[in-house]
Amino acid sequence: MTTTTTTTTTTTLTSKDIELATRAADNFQRLYYSTYDSDKRMDGLSKLYRPTSALTWNGNPYQGTEGIRELLKGLPTTKHEVQSFDCHPIPGQSSFSCFLLSNSIPKKAEICFTQLIGTQPPSLLVTVSGTVIHGKGTAGNPASTPAKSVEGQPRVFAQTFMLVPDPTAPQTKAGEVATYYINADAMRFVG
Amino acid sequence: MDRDTRMRDLTDKPGGRKSQVKSTHKARSGRPRPMDSVLGKNMPSSSRNPMGAVRVPADALSIRGAAKGAISRLRRGGPQALSDRQGPGFPPGRPVRNRIISSWKEVLDSRYNTETRFLNLERLAADESLAQKGLRPFTEENANPKEASVVWKLAGALEPKPQTISLAHNKMTSGAALHVLAYYLPDLANLSLEGNQLTQWRELDAIQGRRNKLNNLRELILIGNPIRELEIKNNRAESYRSEITRRFPSLQMLDQEPITTISFNADVPEASTSTATPAVNTAPQSFFTKEMGPSFITGIDSSVVNEFLTRYLPLFDTQRGALLDVYHPSATFSFSANTAIPTRARIEGFHSSPSMPNQRKLDWTAWLQGGLGGSRNLSRLAGGLEKMTKTLHIGSVQIIEAMTNLPATRHEITSSPDRFCVDAWPIPHGEGMGLFVTLHGQFTEVPVEGVRSFDRSFILAPAPDDSRAKANGWSVIILSDQLNVRSYSSNEAWRPGYMRVQHGENIPTQPMSAWVESITPQARAQLEAVQAFVSVF
Repeated sequence: MTTTTTTTTTTTLTSKDIELATRAADNFQRLYYSTYDSDKRMDGLSKLYRPTSALTWNGNPYQGTEGIRELLKGLPTTKHEVQSFDCHPIPGQSSFSCFLLSNSIPKKAEICFTQLIGTQPPSLLVTVSGTVIHGKGTAGNPASTPAKSVEGQPRVFAQTFMLVPDPTAPQTKAGEVATYYINADAMRFVG
Repeated sequence: MDRDTRMRDLTDKPGGRKSQVKSTHKARSGRPRPMDSVLGKNMPSSSRNPMGAVRVPADALSIRGAAKGAISRLRRGGPQALSDRQGPGFPPGRPVRNRIISSWKEVLDSRYNTETRFLNLERLAADESLAQKGLRPFTEENANPKEASVVWKLAGALEPKPQTISLAHNKMTSGAALHVLAYYLPDLANLSLEGNQLTQWRELDAIQGRRNKLNNLRELILIGNPIRELEIKNNRAESYRSEITRRFPSLQMLDQEPITTISFNADVPEASTSTATPAVNTAPQSFFTKEMGPSFITGIDSSVVNEFLTRYLPLFDTQRGALLDVYHPSATFSFSANTAIPTRARIEGFHSSPSMPNQRKLDWTAWLQGGLGGSRNLSRLAGGLEKMTKTLHIGSVQIIEAMTNLPATRHEITSSPDRFCVDAWPIPHGEGMGLFVTLHGQFTEVPVEGVRSFDRSFILAPAPDDSRAKANGWSVIILSDQLNVRSYSSNEAWRPGYMRVQHGENIPTQPMSAWVESITPQARAQLEAVQAFVSVF
């Protein structure tokens, strides 16, 4: 297989890579939406972004950690329910395998990192689909609301994230490949 | 046998009439899991006394709480048996019950190291002090589960709370003795089950119940159990680790080896912020402060995205094989089905609308099982590592094969562009740039002419000069492609303009700006693109 991109050489993804990516996405979506729905959402979510991150909320652009705070400031409270999610390691970079810090032997890890200077473990593309209720939902509707009104009912949302490793973040525990942050995030109400 | 009698003595209290009625009602209410009613009803979980398990004096650590964990008893005995042993009005000082509790408490105290917060419950069968006290290991195969409940309730009341528990070498064959562990010790960090006889995944599911989970478990040891050793022997170590980490997502060490993880910043302990965090705005809002915006493309000429989509989607509809060249040789593709019925669409009645007569003919089977591997909805994915791997299609050839196996579609992007919505911008990728594209819209599933909604996310890169994509006129190639198919919801969901949070009569304080109505979405998108280009890049 010849490389036809101008980006770095690709490495075949192993099932280990796929499992790791899946687990990361699972942990990520739990963390993201439980933080979003909590009263700590402002501090909690902004930690997942960096100043260079770009995000859109229903077609409105925001930038970085300040941007997400600005967005959240104006939003009513939320209650998300994730109904499906998916995740790929994005090809075009190396696989995780080189970054697996081999079983608490720090020396080996150092060698691995030295060999791979200038490269990064793969970024992740994560898509989530589910529902979100804002404010008090239907309970917040005035008594005069017609029975057939959709207002206050859960909306369907679709959100796509690109998660990338932060090369400057220190390793905090054995087995940790890297700390990832949200580089791009596009959310829309779609139903 | 005499043990059984003894246990009965412990709990056969004349419970108050009131409680009998109540418990009978509860047991009859058709709840599928005896544990739930048991836990929910009897455990000290009410807000009135959240610390109940800790605060109550030792002899009130009654079997009342423990008896509630008598799962097998409940199953066998049914409502009547349950009501027999409940009731808030147990007279104090039941000698037999208290003797058992205090005996177990002695055992735990002697085996608990308060400094290391380590509760050592290893090799209970070899502990002669147990036999002297008339106790039998609660981990034994035929042990009464009540006994285990007593132990875990006592363990949960130890001060400081145990952080590490070892149940190594107890010949355990099932997880029954661990059913209520997560209820009494939800913050347990380390658990060793080394050298037992656990063989089935479901024994671990007993620990990690649906309602009570060890959400903070960092380390687990299963060395010496058939559940592990057989998998290792059969070269399924990876699948073994995957099964475990799926059940215990917080795990960092398994069998004394670190688990490979990807972290996110929020895991890190709270950094002190100089500014006080503004509380979440809970004041009722009738409208969102931001309007729904039109398609948002920035940082690149939107024609790049538009040309790609208006060429890609018709080919996807009519000639999927022709898309081979637009995928990178190592590209990734997967599709997933979100089969939930969208509430608003249901209220609008799309499913039964006379104008959409074919909606009832739609069937999810082709999306759940087709496409060479089926839906990759990771939130519903049974089948573990194998399914996870099989449903991710890697490489252009495999991708086309999988796509060809999906139902035929018709995306009317050129004739009805308003039914689609795109957000896209450049992202750094490798040493160059990539393009992040999300598309929402609808397609007709051709065989039955029913309409579905979908979300699609692409990572694109510029097509290299010497690539087949370039030679075939594509300016970009696809690196990653995820398709999520949903039940139909109208494109009204993203019609630009203000959005209500709640039903209300009031007019928004800042009505949709007049200019938004007067210009086309495309023009507005371009205007915003220019503004955003300056601010974002």
